[in-house]
Formats: sequence, structure tokens, C-alpha cells
Amino acid sequence: MSETALLIKGVDKFYGPIDHGVHAVKSLNMDIRKGEIIALLGSSGCGKTSTLRMIAGFEPVSRGTISLKGREVQTFAPVKRNVAMAFEGYSLYPPLTVRENIAFALKASKLSQSVVDQKVSDIAKLLEIEDIMGRYPSSISGGQQQRASLGRALIRDADLHLLDEPMGQLEPQLRAVLRGRIKHFIKERGLTAILVTHDQTEANALADRIAVMEGGVLQQFDTPQMIKERPANLFTGTFVGEPPMNVFSAGVSGADDTVSFGLNEGVKLDYKASDFSQAVRAELMKRSKVVIGIRPYAVRRGEGGVGARVAVNQWLGDQTHIATDFAGGTMVLVEHDRTNLAIGENVAIRLDPSSLHVFDGDSGKAISHGQELA
Amino acid sequence: MENTSTLERTLRLIALTLVVVFFMFPIFWIFLMSFQTNETILAIPPSIVFTPTLSNYAALITGKLTTAAGSLDIAFMRNLGNSIFLSVTSVALALVLGVPAAYAFARHKFKGSEDIAFTLLSFRFAPPLLVLLPLTQYFQWLGLSDTYFGLIWVYQLICLPLILWIVRGYFEDISADVEYAYRIAGHTWFATFRKIALPLAGPGIAAAGLLAFIFAWNNFVFALVLASADKQPVTVGALAFVTSSGIQYGQIASAIVLSVAPTLALALYAQRYLVEGLSLGAVKG
Amino acid sequence: MTTLQLKNITKRYKTNTVLDGLSLDVADGETLVLFGPSGAGKTVLLRLVAGVIDPDEGQILIGGEDVADIDAEHRGIGMAFQNFALFPHMSAFDNIASPLTATRSTKDAIAAGVQKVAKLLKIDHVLTHHPKALSNGQKQRTALARALVGSPPLLLLDDPLRNVDAKLRFEMRLELPRLLATQGATVVYVTQDYKEAMALGDRIAVMSQGRIRQIGTPADIYNTPADIEIARLFGDPTINLLDVTPRGGADGVYVELSNVKVSLPGMPASVVGQICVLGLRPESITFTEAGAAGAIPVTVEAETPLNEKTVTLVLTVRNREILVSRPAGTPGPTSGPAHIAVNGKAAFLFDKASGALIRSTATSLSHNGEAA
Repeated sequence: MSETALLIKGVDKFYGPIDHGVHAVKSLNMDIRKGEIIALLGSSGCGKTSTLRMIAGFEPVSRGTISLKGREVQTFAPVKRNVAMAFEGYSLYPPLTVRENIAFALKASKLSQSVVDQKVSDIAKLLEIEDIMGRYPSSISGGQQQRASLGRALIRDADLHLLDEPMGQLEPQLRAVLRGRIKHFIKERGLTAILVTHDQTEANALADRIAVMEGGVLQQFDTPQMIKERPANLFTGTFVGEPPMNVFSAGVSGADDTVSFGLNEGVKLDYKASDFSQAVRAELMKRSKVVIGIRPYAVRRGEGGVGARVAVNQWLGDQTHIATDFAGGTMVLVEHDRTNLAIGENVAIRLDPSSLHVFDGDSGKAISHGQELA
Repeated sequence: MENTSTLERTLRLIALTLVVVFFMFPIFWIFLMSFQTNETILAIPPSIVFTPTLSNYAALITGKLTTAAGSLDIAFMRNLGNSIFLSVTSVALALVLGVPAAYAFARHKFKGSEDIAFTLLSFRFAPPLLVLLPLTQYFQWLGLSDTYFGLIWVYQLICLPLILWIVRGYFEDISADVEYAYRIAGHTWFATFRKIALPLAGPGIAAAGLLAFIFAWNNFVFALVLASADKQPVTVGALAFVTSSGIQYGQIASAIVLSVAPTLALALYAQRYLVEGLSLGAVKG
Repeated sequence: MTTLQLKNITKRYKTNTVLDGLSLDVADGETLVLFGPSGAGKTVLLRLVAGVIDPDEGQILIGGEDVADIDAEHRGIGMAFQNFALFPHMSAFDNIASPLTATRSTKDAIAAGVQKVAKLLKIDHVLTHHPKALSNGQKQRTALARALVGSPPLLLLDDPLRNVDAKLRFEMRLELPRLLATQGATVVYVTQDYKEAMALGDRIAVMSQGRIRQIGTPADIYNTPADIEIARLFGDPTINLLDVTPRGGADGVYVELSNVKVSLPGMPASVVGQICVLGLRPESITFTEAGAAGAIPVTVEAETPLNEKTVTLVLTVRNREILVSRPAGTPGPTSGPAHIAVNGKAAFLFDKASGALIRSTATSLSHNGEAA
């Protein structure tokens, strides 16, 4: 395991007096290794921006420590932390051209002019802003400003790169290729980056690990794959993933060799007892109410399934989104081919036990993923 | 930061108090003066301890001023009435004319609209004394000199541009889509103006009206030249206290208190309304 | 239900021509999506139809009737706005009721009408709230309810999902068709999101710079985009574009990518030698084994998962970037050297100079039932 780049230990953030003000970040612990790309993901007010501002040094830490490369920095001024940042509002210097804005980040580095020029032109090529390098921020579009701001942050050789909503304004046609290039750029240079975003698509595309936050609490900190396959709770499960996870509340019943989930409108999902481990079955039988979840791409059509009625069938070019009326709610399926299903048609849908997520009906905590305990 | 908050709060309180004292002290002093006789007022050193008297107010209300040189008739209550009548009527007229005009300027960019709007504003640029002489001439020809009607007309020079420009800004801030939505829902443009534009610009109209009222109330020059004694407002009427036997500070102070009272009351009332209106607001919401 | 016809509509603001001789027919009961980048003139077009602004030239016919002399309030249109345009000083109930109060319906009839549509949109529990107290999603539903409540034969929806978050947008994308089906109205729907356009439109009119560039079914536009610009607007990730000069052989037209022949079946021989742009949708490219036929050597730059897909950015030997997309969960390389195979049957060829589509073979793509 490589060295720790950033260590956040027991950090609290209060706006107003400690223990009495607004508790924006609650005992946060994170260990970020050198060369990792981390996404802080959550909706507005979840504490992600407060966390970012504490790491950058714009906001004092109420309690706990923040260490960069093993050195406690929570009392340091931002300039002493060797952190590069791309701001959500771009914050480009209006009297400087795009080129000057980007080169400005290298002012303190005492590099020779030719090295600076080379670096600037490389980054301009990467971000496709070569043709606007001589322009001023006020005369370029929001997407171009965002790319310039990203360039100013990425060009620096900092211990940590903080990117606040770095790609929200990018032209959709450029987004996929820029994501790939930026990820490659960061990885190739072994930079450590934290991006803050409300867009789970962005987080999934770029991050090695995603920290999902809600209500100031870190809900789950894991790889995109794990968050998708083993969400820690109902919040993470439904927040990450597009289209969102299908969820239905259900009652549990079981006999020696079966486990059944009773959904609304008398829909019953029967599984063999062997579809779940002994431990899962024991947990399930303790509860009368659970929430079952299944990702849209894991829902299958075919024999032996439960009846559902097609409500919407939307072909999007390379995917088909099908919404069906199911157990008094909507069950969404994603298929990769174009599907000829008429509205109102009856289909049988299969929810494989291996793709089934079960959450506690009250706390929302995950009970099981597939066969195994969460 | 959190541990300094008590100190910070104390400092802030002290600073605020200083500012308040600085601005409020003259008003407070005038208030005290209005309960004193000329002798105690002019005493050196001045004292806050005195026997309060209502004689100044009594003189103003009865209209009989008794000085060392004899007694004098003053028309202060009539002046006060004139002030109220002139200001209220002027502002009302300016609102009736100005608000629809502001709406037109805000919503319809017709040919020359900017020029007309600017011309109206430019009335505020010229010093009143500049226009006063020709104005007096015209008013005499037209028979408007020394009439309420003439004064109210002249007061439009003060009120109308103010209301037009402030209210226009508020109308422009209302998203056109909100009005379109009401039109498309099947309502006429006039219903849209009444039910959507007016309520949403309400706080702005109130603020403009209040400002116009204060400007009209404080006007001095127009009334001094264009009105005779029985139509003069308090600003001009207060001159009467500069008598041949000296300046009646006590009466001046009580006159000020009485003449400030209506604007102050209005401002306090409107402030509540403004805050309410603005917080309900989210005109752009 | 009704029809809508626009004939040679031109609208200028000072010297800026926002709509340039635009004509459009919307059929009875059809949902037509106006799709295009901001500044294309979509919103102006809707406002013209609604009657809140007037065209400089041209005719608008609703149900066959010229509406030039009919004021906005008499056109009987329902409209939802991008910024919701709710009346901030009125409750949600009064907002929704506004089209009904205009017709002097009885109080009971108004209440019943509002209740019905509010229930349909699941906002019947917040009717007493003012817009300020509503969540973004509720605001958006209130705005839709207001547009629907009078059962107008013509509905104009101006990017109604723009200002809600991704989750709500997805939810509404599935809900809207059902909602519109209950209304039976003719709908003009404006959006900048190609997924919304494909999901909701019976037909899509692609607009840019005040003109309609292409009009057709979602399949028409996805499979035979009229030019490069339109091809780039549809699809996420964006279509790959590579400069090529097709060659001809005994077995038809082909192009060479990194010295590997990719044959383009069905392409006319006239393109041989012409400077062209090859369009390859990321989903028509697959990873393959080194020795396989048509395997093109590449280096994997980065893997960026995208919802239910995995998108990989690869670099050819000549440093050309290519995006490859595959269903999530299927195997593929994450770094280092790899090989891709291009499905020539799903390729587009555009003229380099004009950007116009020369020929698309994409209609024969493996979309069940959609084969041309």
C-alpha cells in the first residue's frame, strides 16, 4: 500500500459555537493514499463542500486533525498547504488572459519560461482550449471558463488537487473524452485528487473510491464497484446509480426451504432457502418489514417471472429504459438492445436472488447483498 | 472563531451603539428642546435637567405665539395640514401616473422609450432654482400661481421621476415568464398587470411612494416661491419663528417634532411592510 | 387535440435573426420535440406559438386557423416553463387554478379540477403551500399541473425538467409519457437533453441557429443524422469522428485504421478517394483478441464508467482518440495495450468539407425490429 497523502481524523465542523451551532460535518475519518482519485459525493448541504473547504484551509476545523503527507495542517493558512484547487465558480482572474491565468499557477514554482510554456501548451491541448488561450475570461463561455479553471489547477505540482464540481458546465459532447483524458493525466503523473460533486455519474466515471455523504455523515467510502454492488444502506443504494435502484417495501415470511417477500398488491416473490446463506435467513426472519432493492440493469425478463405491465418503453440509442407497473409501484429495466414492447403489454420479470439487495425497513441499513450478509 | 464570538459580539454592540448615538443625538436633543423655553435652551452650559413645558406645543396648536415683543399669529397647524395634503395628493397622483408608465417602460421597448424615460429623470438633474423663474412666469400666466393644483403639479417634478425609475426596476425584475404564464392561462394583459405585476412589485412601489413622500414633504423652494401663506407647508411655515424679537428655538423644535412625526410613523409602518414584502418575495424565485 | 402549423416564421431582435424562415407541421395528438443547443431559438418559437410575442414574418395556424389576431389569453394553450414561472404570491392551489379562474368556472368546478390534476401529479398534499415552501420537484409538478389543468388541446413544454436534479428528471421522464397519454393533447416539447428527446418524442426537430436542421423519428435521427453536428448531439458518449479517405477494392469500399482494413458494406464507390469523416458510435466498437480479424492495436488511456455502461478512452498507434462503450459488467481491458474491432456495418461516413452525411449503414444495426 502506498503512502497516505491525506488523513482526516475525527473532524467535526460546526457553524456557530462548537456543540451548539449547525453541525455540518460529523466525526469524519478518511485515509486517502497518494495517487488516488477520490470523489466526495452528496446532494447540497451534505457537508462535502465544508469538508473540501477545511482541507483547503478556507474554513477552520472545529475539532479533529487534517494531515497532509504526515504533517498536521489544520491550523495552516491555505497557501502553506501546497494544495491546488479548481473552484466551482471558476474564479479566473478577469484582467488576465486564459494563458496568463493558467501560467499564473506556476509563478511561484521558479520554472524556466520554456518549461512553463511547454506545460501550458500541453494542458491547453488536453482541455481543448488552444484556440481561446489569448482570450479573457469574460469573453468565453461557461464551459470554456470551467476548462481554463481546471487547467490552472491541474498544471500545478501540488500534494493534493481539489476539484469542486469540476465538470458540471462542460459541453456534453466533450464530457466523455475529457473525463478519459483527465483521469489519464492524473494517473500518469501520480497526482492525488479529490473531486467534490453532486453528480454520481461524474464520481463513478473518475473516482477510484467514492465517499458518499449525507447529513454531514460519511455514509460509505468505497470503490464505485463496491458501492454499486454492496451499498451500505438504502441512501447510498438509491443515490448512486442511474437509473436509480428499484426499491419496494416488503414483508418477509419463510418456511424450512423457502424465503418469501410479500410486496404490495399481493405480489409475492418466492425464493429457495438456499438462495440465501444461513446467516442472511436468520437476519431476515427477525424482521417483519424490509426494503428490497434491485438495480435496473439486473432485472431480467423471462419465464418463471412475476407479472408486470409495460408502462413506458424508451429507446435512447444504445439503451432501452422500460418502466413497468409492478406491485403498486414502478419497476424499471435497462436493456442494451432496442426492445419491441408495446405499452400495456404484460411481461414476466425475474429478480435473481444474486442481484437482490435487502435493507432494514426502519434504519435502512443493508442486511444482505445477493446470497451474503452485507 | 467560535471562542471569540462573545468578544466579537460585544465589540459589535459598542460600535452599533456609537453609530446610533451619533445619528440619533440631534433628534433626541431637538425632542428635549421642544419641551423647554427659549431661556433654558440658550442657557450656557446647556443642561438636560429642566422643568418641561408644553407651552411650545400649546402655542403651535392654538396659533398664538407670545414673545417678549408681543403676541403673534402663526398658522402652523394650517401649514401642517397643507404639508399632509400636498404630499399625499402629489404622491397619490404620481403613483397613479407613474406605476402604469413604469410598467410600460419596463415591458414594452417601444421606439424612443429610453429617451422619454431619461427625459423624465433629467427633471431631477436641474437645480430647482434654475427652473423657478420661468416657472413662476408661466404659473402666473396660467393662473396656477398660489393654487394647490399648481403646487401638486410642480411636485410631480419631484415625485414622478422617482417613482417611475424605482418601480420600473422592480417590474423589470419580475420574470417575463411569470406574466406570460398568467396571460397564457387565459387572462388579459390588464388582469396580468393587476394580479401579477402589481402585487409582485408591491414592496418596490411602497418604497418608491415612501421616498417620494419624504422628498415632497421636505420640499422648500417651490412652495416658498409659488405659494402664499395659507397654502404653505411646514418647511416654509417654520420661517415664521424667526421673528423680529429673536428666533423662537423652542417653537422651532416642537414644530420639527410635529412635522417629523408623520414621516417617521409612515417610515416605521412601511418598513414592516417592506420587510414582509421582500421576504415573501422571491420575485425571481 | 389539434394541429399546429408554422409557415416561414421569421423573428428578429434588432439585427439578430432568431428564427429564420422556419416551417413546421405538428400532427394531431403528436408529441414533437424541439431539440437543440441554447440560442437555437426554441424558446422564442414556443413564445410565438403561445402568442406572447409576435413573428416578424410568417403564419401560425392552430387547428388550421391563423392565430395572428388571437391574443395569448384566447389561444387555449397550456404551457410549462423552464424556470417554472410560478406566481410567488399565490398558493400552489391558486397557481394551478389560474387557467380555470379565467373561464369563470364555479368554485366547486375549479376545486374539483385542481384536485384531479394535483392527484395525478402527486402534489395534492401541498396545495396550500406557496411556491417558496415547495421543493424543486414539487414546484416543477405544480408548473406542469397548471399547464394541464384546463385540458388544453395544445401543450407547450419548455424544457420543464431542466431545473430538477438527475433523479427527478429520470423519474419524470418515465412519468411524462403516461401523463401526456391521459391528456391526448398535441405537445411541443423543448429540451437540450438528447435522451429526453429520444424518450419522449414521436418526432424530433433538431434546431440550430433559428432553423430546423433535421426532423424525424428518434430512430431516423440516431441512425441517419443529416450531418456531423447532429450526429455529435445524439449519443453519450459522443460519436467518434476520424478523418479518412475511403478506398475501393474488389470487395467494396473500405477505410484503413492503423493499417487495418475496415470494410464499409453498402457504401457507394463514389466516395473512394474523397476526404471524409468516419463516424463510429462508441457502442459499435468492441474489444477483441490480438489475432482476431480486423483487430486494431490501441493503448487504453482510461476507463470511465458511465451509468450502465463502461466507457474506455483508447489511443490508436497514430495517437487518435477513440471512445469505446460496452454494457457494464462485461469484461474489458482497463489499461495497457489492447485491440479493438470496428463494426463497419454501423459506421457513418460524412463529407469532410460540408459535414453532410454521405451514407449511413447504421439502420441495419442489431436493434431488434428496427432493421430498415
